[in-house]
Amino acid sequence: MRQSSLTQHDFTVISNTQVAEGVWRMVFASEVARSIEPGQFMNFEVPGDGSHILRIPLSFSLADAAHGRVVIYYAVVGEGTGRLARMRPQEASTLLGPCGNGWRLPADTSKRALLVAGGIGLPPVVAAADLLAAAGVGFDVAIGLRTKDALAPTLLQELELFQDKDTQVRMATDDGSLGLHGFATQAAEQLLSERDYGSIYTCGPQVMMAGVAKLAEERGIACQVSMERMMGCGFGACACCNVALAAGGYALCCQDGPVFDAQEVAW
Amino acid sequence: MVSVSMAVNLGGIQMRNPLNTASGTYGNGWQFEGFYDVGATLGAITCKGVAAEPWQGNPAQRLAELPGSAIMNSVGLQNPGVRGFVDEYGAYLQGLRDKGCQVICQVAGHSIEEYVRATELYEELAPFASGFEVNISCPNIAAGGAAMGATPEAAAEVMRAVRPRTQRPVVVKMAPHDVAEIGRALEDAGADALSLINTIPGMSIDVCTRKSRLSRPTAGVSGPAIHAIAVRMVWECAQAVKIPLCGIGGVSSGEGAAEMILAGATAVSVGTANMYDPTCVPRILAELEQWAEEQGVQDINELIGAFEC
Repeated sequence: MRQSSLTQHDFTVISNTQVAEGVWRMVFASEVARSIEPGQFMNFEVPGDGSHILRIPLSFSLADAAHGRVVIYYAVVGEGTGRLARMRPQEASTLLGPCGNGWRLPADTSKRALLVAGGIGLPPVVAAADLLAAAGVGFDVAIGLRTKDALAPTLLQELELFQDKDTQVRMATDDGSLGLHGFATQAAEQLLSERDYGSIYTCGPQVMMAGVAKLAEERGIACQVSMERMMGCGFGACACCNVALAAGGYALCCQDGPVFDAQEVAW
Repeated sequence: MVSVSMAVNLGGIQMRNPLNTASGTYGNGWQFEGFYDVGATLGAITCKGVAAEPWQGNPAQRLAELPGSAIMNSVGLQNPGVRGFVDEYGAYLQGLRDKGCQVICQVAGHSIEEYVRATELYEELAPFASGFEVNISCPNIAAGGAAMGATPEAAAEVMRAVRPRTQRPVVVKMAPHDVAEIGRALEDAGADALSLINTIPGMSIDVCTRKSRLSRPTAGVSGPAIHAIAVRMVWECAQAVKIPLCGIGGVSSGEGAAEMILAGATAVSVGTANMYDPTCVPRILAELEQWAEEQGVQDINELIGAFEC
């Protein structure tokens, strides 16, 4: 049993705009900015429809503790995220957070890290870049997207805040409209063949993360994955968001993750 | 200033107020400490169901959201076994007892022997338990669970087997059917109290894939949508038995808790609302106290079963 530091916070929308095909960016003000760490998430109560009762769990790219601001990105995929997209500046609601366990620094900070993101998995990878840069760990990034219009330019700008002069950002798209015609795993494989990495951080579709986990295992590189599950509570009370473990049994994504060592997960 | 006495007695479990938690929606309490002081607030906590040996629970997908204020779950009683449960949560739960919150430990099993074994292990290892809730109504496990409580005879058999294993109060968690008949059988078999209802078996089909949205064809429906059904079943059961009831089902407000009490519930468990509004228990308690005061009673017990038809 661990101590729970998460609580309910208010949040107030500062801006909420569409920034790419199917992708929205929200900046909001909340006290949670002072306690949330890269890779953790929040569970949002979205106003506008009492008939859908569950909150929406979302990770973030940037948290500015000094100004109490957080940046999140989300894909509008259903009724709940549709309501989130309709929230206007000054509108307020509540969130639960900080939820779960975030990214950890690599054991060996002298080597570069490889970040691999797929689609809407990029925002928490930006948060990983923040964590690594603060510890002086250089990194490269492989990004996979469906098409070039799905790329939020603001996410690349946020990533640039943490890059060093050697950082490479390698893109791949399913339709070949930007960068490599292929998947994030192929872009990652290219980088792995060109440079020496001490750690890998990845977030995206499960099939992509499984591929990244395999690349890491083959090369003996420590790999952290940020898992996504549909969640009931977001803080370990309902046991609905199970992640199958390599050792057998299940962990809870919200409480034991969302960041896991890739080797722990049964892919 | 509230002047109504809120204390109730759930079959020997003396609660300082009627609020309890529905097993499986509340972890084992500690997750809520960031929202309010659990031990200083609740009348009782009902812990997650635990069996003699650890259970893995069901594979993903365990959860679906339904339009109309409901969810479905198919967790399947993932639990660390009584020993693991006591090792991990025993000290915390003793702390809740020390603050005046009763701790109800839930007994799960696939067979009568397993219910008995789990009860024996609790007796040996869990001095912090104020009483037990025997879950004969989980709809999400292949053997045991709801099958054990499907008929009056089967339900009574479990109760008769567990009864001699403990001196502490035993509550039985009932499935949402035949509650009068099964309730009477459980009362005759020695149950100290009954809690109802467990989730209602339902189905949610993805029409594109033609498959269930969850890992099993059926799963348990809960949330505000089932509240009216639960109130009706509490009312039916209350007319059939003399032992006290704990009303469960879609309670998300003081008004919802008050309905349960008027229908005949001595205690009221908050379930699914804890998942989406983890701050709700103190609010529900305050609303319930205000209602009792507005009803002009000195003691909330005067309102149990006070529904006028």
